[in-house]
Amino acid sequence: MPPSVDLLQGTLDLLILKTLALEPMHGWGVALRIQQISKEVLQIGQGSLYPALHRLEYRGWIKSEWASSDNNRRAKFYSLTPKGRKQLAAELDQWERMATAIALVLGQDKAAIA
Amino acid sequence: MSGDPHHGADATAGRRRRMLGLFANWFSRRPRAQRELDDELAFHLEQSIRLHQAAGMSPGEARRQALLDFGGVEQAREETWRQRPSWLVESILQDIRYAARGFLRNLAFTVTVLLTLALGIGATSAVFSVVDRILFRNLPYSHDDRLVSVGLVQSLETQEFMLGGFFYEWRDNQRPFSSLTFERGTNDCNLTDVNPIHLQCGFVAQNFLPTLGITPMLGRNFLPEEDLPHGPAVAMISDGLWLSRFNRDPGILNRAISLDDHSVRIVGVLPRDFEMPRLQPVDIVLPAQMDVAAQHTVNSGIGYPMWAFARLKPGVSIAAARLQMQPLYLHTQQWIPAEIRNDFHLQVRSMRDRQMQDAYRAAWLLLGGVLAVLVIACANVASLFSARGAAREREQAVRAALGASRGRLIRQTMTEAWMLAIAGAVVGCVLAEILLQVFIAFGPAGLPFLAKARLDLRVIAFTVAISILCAIFFGILASLEKPRSLALAARLVSSRTRARLRRALVAVQIAISAVLLSSAGLLLKSLSNLENQSLGMEPRDVITVHVALNPEHYPKTYMGFYLRAETALRQLPGISGVAMSSSLPPDGWHNGMRYAEIFVVGKPPSPQSAGDPITSRVVTPDYFRVLHIPIVRGAGFIEADRNSPNHFLILSQLLASRLFPGEDPIGRHIQFGTFNPYFVADPTIFTVAGVAGNVKNAGLAAQNEPEFYTLGISRDPEAWSGHHFFLLETSLPASVVAPWIRAQIAQIDATAPVEIRSLSQDVNELGDRPRFATALLGFFAFCGLLMAVIGLYGVIAYVASQRTQEIGVRMALGATRLNILPLIAAEGVRMVTLGGVLGLGVALALSRVMQSLLFQVSPRDPEIYVAVAVLLALVALAATLIPARSAMRVDPVEALRRE
Repeated sequence: MPPSVDLLQGTLDLLILKTLALEPMHGWGVALRIQQISKEVLQIGQGSLYPALHRLEYRGWIKSEWASSDNNRRAKFYSLTPKGRKQLAAELDQWERMATAIALVLGQDKAAIA
Repeated sequence: MSGDPHHGADATAGRRRRMLGLFANWFSRRPRAQRELDDELAFHLEQSIRLHQAAGMSPGEARRQALLDFGGVEQAREETWRQRPSWLVESILQDIRYAARGFLRNLAFTVTVLLTLALGIGATSAVFSVVDRILFRNLPYSHDDRLVSVGLVQSLETQEFMLGGFFYEWRDNQRPFSSLTFERGTNDCNLTDVNPIHLQCGFVAQNFLPTLGITPMLGRNFLPEEDLPHGPAVAMISDGLWLSRFNRDPGILNRAISLDDHSVRIVGVLPRDFEMPRLQPVDIVLPAQMDVAAQHTVNSGIGYPMWAFARLKPGVSIAAARLQMQPLYLHTQQWIPAEIRNDFHLQVRSMRDRQMQDAYRAAWLLLGGVLAVLVIACANVASLFSARGAAREREQAVRAALGASRGRLIRQTMTEAWMLAIAGAVVGCVLAEILLQVFIAFGPAGLPFLAKARLDLRVIAFTVAISILCAIFFGILASLEKPRSLALAARLVSSRTRARLRRALVAVQIAISAVLLSSAGLLLKSLSNLENQSLGMEPRDVITVHVALNPEHYPKTYMGFYLRAETALRQLPGISGVAMSSSLPPDGWHNGMRYAEIFVVGKPPSPQSAGDPITSRVVTPDYFRVLHIPIVRGAGFIEADRNSPNHFLILSQLLASRLFPGEDPIGRHIQFGTFNPYFVADPTIFTVAGVAGNVKNAGLAAQNEPEFYTLGISRDPEAWSGHHFFLLETSLPASVVAPWIRAQIAQIDATAPVEIRSLSQDVNELGDRPRFATALLGFFAFCGLLMAVIGLYGVIAYVASQRTQEIGVRMALGATRLNILPLIAAEGVRMVTLGGVLGLGVALALSRVMQSLLFQVSPRDPEIYVAVAVLLALVALAATLIPARSAMRVDPVEALRRE
């Protein structure tokens, strides 16, 4: 297993929102999906996944309902609310600006080292 | 570790819930949400296990791996649970429920803490209410800290006063004040409209209200032209009079009222909280209308007496003002007769000092005493909390092991502290109100503002602040102690820091108790000296009668009334003596003069101590018999002297020894001085007829003044003042003879009010203030000692229980009970010795503060300090021996079996 990367503060919320934007999913699914898409780089600890899910739910960005999973076991499915969709857009925006800014700074640094 | 046990627990809880259907709603919400969380986490684990199994692991291996992947299930559950918005409130409620259960389980602890807190808070609030007005509360004047009282003091009048002859010169030439004003005191006056009432009229300068920063509630202040001699008759009335007489009629302005048959126009109403600076009651305020030019001619050229007040200029201190006024004072001193000039001094002091006088020190003493009690109470609560903490160490350790965070445990302790503090504050407020009512009912008349003391918002705020401080204090103390996981394993691990802390707290309590006890002891001894001192007379069985005669009914002389009344009173049954006097010892107002005014015939006037005061009284011959004052030399007065053409006087022993050192004063001649404008001997010659024993004449605590007595003589009717007292000797109680006396007086003057008192009661009341302070401080000392003993007992009992096992082993090995005693008692002896020595040291260091409150007791009186030490030792011994005794009774078999 490749070493996992520590998540930046606040990015977990963004990842969860983005993952749920695709389709409603239970917690296990969210963890699995993030792990798969990130090619095993991002391993979400359950100690932070479920607190985050519940936090987002209390904020009204995601909602949950109990439904049958693929193997007929009852599971709690989370889905994005309209409010959550707006929040996702806003956070994505912010993330991009931040990433660009960091990239600019780092690019300059490389030049300096060279 | 899966969710299964929780399902089981929840199912049982569910059945119980259905039975308690009523509460179902509130209780069920939390468990259902929790169950869902359990399900959610369980699902996650299942999926993880399936994944591992699919990868080829055995079921057991897959499960193990899944749990490893997950990390701490409990932490995740707790963390997720915390995300709920209501988590904080819920957990606080949970803390409160938990605390309440704990309090109920340990009632003795709860009640002791509550009572201790309530006593501390209640006593502090009540005493604070009493001293608030004396020490802290603003006077009802704007920027009252800039107001000063200005004037002269002398040994005959130690409260500064002013003279008209000085005032205007000072006013026109002074620099430190932005304004200087005066009031001329208050007189009796009558509102002679339809229903005449008796009032107090005050006379003030035009700039009186502006200087004090007071604006009338209605109408306006006097105009300058209204303050000129023979100016328009205008007045301002008090809010009380406005209410009682005019029912707060807003149309009161410009109405004419009849004051002593003169028409006066009302121009203003004073604010509700208005007070004269010297606190004398007043109903109507009138402009003084002083004739400035006349002030250098009237009253022997020094002008009318008045009382001056001033507002300091910004940046000028009281000391600077006094310094700046000194040259002006020296300049005007020329008006004072040279012989007594040195006895006069300039006085400038704050208005508050002027109002509160010596109540200051007593108030600080009481406040200090009650704050000491509060500190002991807080220490006691902290020590009780700590003792409870020790008993709960295992419980805390179990909670910590089950996942309660350190913060959560601290919060639990703080919650308990707050709950007790708030409950204590509530009980304390009730107690404060009760105590305050007791103070008002039994407090001395002389303590300023006592009757007006209330528990107001500020006092309540003070109380709540104290209880919060207490809560923080003992909350922090208790939660400082870390619950140690060791406590779970080791059965009898006692925290050493905790034990040290509690010992220190007990020592501090004992130390403060020692300070309180020695202060109370000193006051008690002083009070006993005050009450048991020889007055030089016997006030028992003496009734005093004062008749307020209306001057208008006696235009020529009061003598006729007094002689007729004397004869009438002599005829009453059960009265064995009737005397008259112009004033009453041992305190109270009396006439006075100075050495410079006494001329011994045949001796040169002595310039030394010319300004010293001398008391003088006009009496009848029976005065000495009624009061049992011994005539130690000479014959004294006889009845016939009252009609004799010669003048006689009796000297007190003190005066005789100063005027005639080593000589026989009987038969010597004395003349009195008149001021003209220096003292010359008046031609009337008095012959010394006797020397009387010294009588207390300047209050109970002060030094006696030299005194002489003259006779009220029939030959000089105009010399009789309208303020004589009758002194009646009777073995009957005052309540029995009072109606007879009133009936006799009414036959002579039906309208004059008669005041009848017992002299011993008057003398007794002089001791009220020291008695009050002593009783309160004694009460505080008692409370402090009681709490300290509770603390001591708690610590010793704890130590004894901690060492039960050790004692068992020792006894099994042959130790006798007497060998066990020192083990336990040593602890107590150490704390008491440390605290006692510390406390007595502090008390000795602080004792100088008490000096002025003590009468014939040295503040370092060894008796008191020894007594306190012995008392502490005895009480501490009792508090130590009781738990030590139960430790000695330990059954070794029983103690060892507990291993």
